[in-house]
Amino acid sequence: MGFLKNVSAIAKGMSITFGEMFKPTIVENYPDGPGPLRGAVFQERFRGMHVLQRDENGLEKCVACFLCAAACPSNCIYIEAAENTEENRISGAERYAKVYNIDYNRCIFCGYCVEACPTDAITHGHGFELATLNATNLVYRKEQLLAGVPAHVGQNVVFNITEAAKQKMITK
Amino acid sequence: MADAPKLVNITVNGKKTTAPAGTLLIEACKQIGIEVPSFCYYPGLSLQGACRMCLVEIEKMPKLQTACTTPVAEGMVVNTESEKVVQSRKAMLEIVLANHPLDCPVCDAGGECELQDMTYTYGAAESKFIDIKSHRDEQQWSPVVFFDRPRCILCYRCVRVCGEGMDVWALGVQNRGQGSVIAPNKQDHLECEECGMCIDICPVGALTSGSYRYKTRPWEMNHVGTVCTHCGDGCLTTVGVRRSDTGMEIVRCDNRDKSGINGDFLCVKGRYAFDFAANQERITQPLIKRDGKFVPATWTQAIELVADKFKQVVQKDGPQAIGVIGSNRTTNEENYLLQKFARLVLGTNNIDHHRTADFPAFAKAISENKARTASMRDVFEAPAVLLIGNDPTEQHPLLAWQIRNNVRLHRSKFYIVNSQAIKLRRQATQFVQIPTGAEARFVDFLSGNDAAAGTLTQAGASNENLSQLRDALKGEQNLVVIFGSELRGADISALVKFAAPQNAKFICLGDYANSRGAADMGLFPDLLPGYATFAGAARYQQEWGADVPALVGMDLKQMFGAARDGKLKALYVVGSNPVSRYALDPFVLQAPFVVVQDMFMTETAIAADVILPAAFAYEKSGTFTSTCGDLQMLRKAGDVVSVKSDFEIVVRIAEKMGYDVRKLVPFGKGLRADMGQSRGAQSGEADRHSVWLQARGLEPKVSPFDPLATLDEIQRLIPGYDVSQINLVSGNDEHTQLVQIQNASIPSHPELVVPSNDTLFTSGTLGRYSTVLNSVMERRATGKEVAAD
Ligand code: SF4
Ligand code: SF4
Ligand code: SF4
Ligand code: SF4
Ligand code: SF4
Ligand code: FES
Repeated sequence: MGFLKNVSAIAKGMSITFGEMFKPTIVENYPDGPGPLRGAVFQERFRGMHVLQRDENGLEKCVACFLCAAACPSNCIYIEAAENTEENRISGAERYAKVYNIDYNRCIFCGYCVEACPTDAITHGHGFELATLNATNLVYRKEQLLAGVPAHVGQNVVFNITEAAKQKMITK
Repeated sequence: MADAPKLVNITVNGKKTTAPAGTLLIEACKQIGIEVPSFCYYPGLSLQGACRMCLVEIEKMPKLQTACTTPVAEGMVVNTESEKVVQSRKAMLEIVLANHPLDCPVCDAGGECELQDMTYTYGAAESKFIDIKSHRDEQQWSPVVFFDRPRCILCYRCVRVCGEGMDVWALGVQNRGQGSVIAPNKQDHLECEECGMCIDICPVGALTSGSYRYKTRPWEMNHVGTVCTHCGDGCLTTVGVRRSDTGMEIVRCDNRDKSGINGDFLCVKGRYAFDFAANQERITQPLIKRDGKFVPATWTQAIELVADKFKQVVQKDGPQAIGVIGSNRTTNEENYLLQKFARLVLGTNNIDHHRTADFPAFAKAISENKARTASMRDVFEAPAVLLIGNDPTEQHPLLAWQIRNNVRLHRSKFYIVNSQAIKLRRQATQFVQIPTGAEARFVDFLSGNDAAAGTLTQAGASNENLSQLRDALKGEQNLVVIFGSELRGADISALVKFAAPQNAKFICLGDYANSRGAADMGLFPDLLPGYATFAGAARYQQEWGADVPALVGMDLKQMFGAARDGKLKALYVVGSNPVSRYALDPFVLQAPFVVVQDMFMTETAIAADVILPAAFAYEKSGTFTSTCGDLQMLRKAGDVVSVKSDFEIVVRIAEKMGYDVRKLVPFGKGLRADMGQSRGAQSGEADRHSVWLQARGLEPKVSPFDPLATLDEIQRLIPGYDVSQINLVSGNDEHTQLVQIQNASIPSHPELVVPSNDTLFTSGTLGRYSTVLNSVMERRATGKEVAAD
């Protein structure tokens, strides 16, 4: 009986193996696939490189509350806060992040920062091509993390970006 | 003394306990470890009963009672955790939160907010109100005080601390009930002492600090307790530091943990004037003058040059051709080391400092009369206080606070003799105004010379006032006598002689953070540490293993005179600006080789040949002696790359001059090694010294840059300093008595005392480079809104 049991178990296993051989392949064709993602496909919940979001007016959502930095288990978020002024309004509240760095040498993509953020400013994007030969490149600055300005906002909003950057945006 | 109040029995949550009759229930609960939440109750301030957070259930009382206003009574049975109490707390919080903006993520108080804590501990998780919250824009009341009205929970602590504690009464309440709002005294702005006590005491983020707001969050900083660097009162302050491009940046100072003599008190300088540390004009590189211009140099170059020159001068012109001037703002260890450097390494007694009070005369008077000195704590507890001269509100804010609160809380008697109608007269039992400069004659009158009274009456005091005061003083036991630099020399002796028989204690007021320490550590041409004359040099020679030069040195003015006559060939100025303080001629400094150790390009530094950038009090460790004689420990908080502590610079120069540093700093002796405490281990800094130490075959853990090793030596040599070091290290203050080991008469030079004349808003050189202090003063001058930074 023992012998039969073993044979049937092997047969069952092999049937799955052989069955798979005739099904279509579901391995992604990255990086040779089509489109900007070059064939990469993600689950919606995939936690990739962070994106700092903007609100509907194009202002930064981050109010520099430091909660993400406090929640981060690997201590890789560095923030310097500054106050918004009438002439230079960057976020919706009184304070904004003058400096916002994430050190991807250390980030473990746990998502705690996203959990902690009271304004839904920091989110995980799907960016994953972070590999580099120089570790200092892995410290991402706010400018690299910020989401683009929403299209409908156009050039009507006074941004806090440099004059040159504004010009570039308008001409784009 | 009144009899101790009798104890009453109470039961709280089933626990039986006793408390003195008259104790507030909230305090009695605290004694046995039961927390009753409160917003408006604040120990030391009048009772308000406004917030209703402290409601508790007391048996036989129909309604819940406020624990903060109910005194304990015999047989009281209290429940602080009943269903009813829990419900009421929830409801109270819900009402407080009804109009609260809940902008915790941007609020400065977030993370150290009492409302947050209460809501977490006692509150309901959701709000039942759906109405729109009323909003008001934030207002700037002064360069340092901002008010965010929606966040205010109307506890009136700010109003009370400003009025009762500070005696400024700049804050008030407008309207009533729900519509109440805290308002400043001048319509839309404040005219006040800018102490920031209201900001500190605010349980929420309604009042915020101009210099700290929106900069960071409490948990992002390292908090290091150290001693204020400004006046001589020695407030403990907690410095919040954050890593920056240039080291550790100081972001704020407060004393929220109420450690130290000052409780939670800090004046405008202690709270805001730390920003000079990051001033653009701060010197952060050694500078060497070449062809009349300062050129940046490396530390090695600068120290080599200084050591070579000093050695040359000593060999060629003799040690008498070098002068050393010490500082009122460097630590005891640094001052002690500096005089040791002058006496042993250079071989001269030409050492002095800017004297702001006649401490040698004080030491003499105290030891001759076997009297005692008073600590800052004594001022708060004494049954009577006599103040002669000085204006503590301006020059000694903590002292003024102690006196005010002693009068208010303990009903102590307070006598003032002053030539000006100083603000503290509002607390005085008796205020006697005498003509300017007549303080000495008043002491003469006290000592029994009735003829002196005639010359004291022009300014409004009558003969009767004067005799009344004298009689009253004679009747006061355990009096604390405080006097300013108006009294010097023999007058101090006379005053001490008058009051000592009544068991009085004394305070001599010096102006800067470590003026008293500089004097105690022997920065005098004719006195060794502990006010010992050269006749008693044997003890020192034994400890130091070297001879003390026998010749009495030149004082500060004589040094400048010698420089003019071409006799002084080198001058070493550490953290001092004698050119400006003594109005001396900087041109005489052209001939000698001048080395200045400082933070800024002062009038003296401009004349220097080499400038060595020095760290200031918050950037090093050591001890300060307050003007009362309270010894406290400094801890390294801030850091700016490439500046060095005066201690380290002196040791390095000595080493370069070929002197055995082991003889200079007794490191490695005794029980304790420096495990990095003195080098900023608290602020997480790497050990910058280890390379230098290892190159010289020294174990990094046993470092000649360890000020604590020098403290050991100070404690061995100066009798009054023999206090518990454990206590110092754990952040407590220890009072040092002026104990004299020998009876030789101490020389005093009243004419060399030059008071700094700082006000509440100035602080010597440091004040000049503080943006906040400048903006406060500008604003007071123009009456206009000026942003703090
Ligand atoms: S994902 Fe995790 S490790 Fe990465 S920054 Fe956020 S909290 Fe830190
Ligand atoms: S990203 Fe979010 S959590 Fe982090 S500082 Fe900004 S607002 Fe706060
Ligand atoms: S800063 Fe000081 S003096 Fe001014 S309002 Fe506040 S408590 Fe009063
Ligand atoms: S401003 Fe602050 S301290 Fe003053 S009443 Fe409001 S909450 Fe209390
Ligand atoms: S009273 Fe003196 S020691 Fe205290 S904070 Fe003010 S300046 Fe500093
Ligand atoms: S603490 Fe008792 S009423 Fe506020």
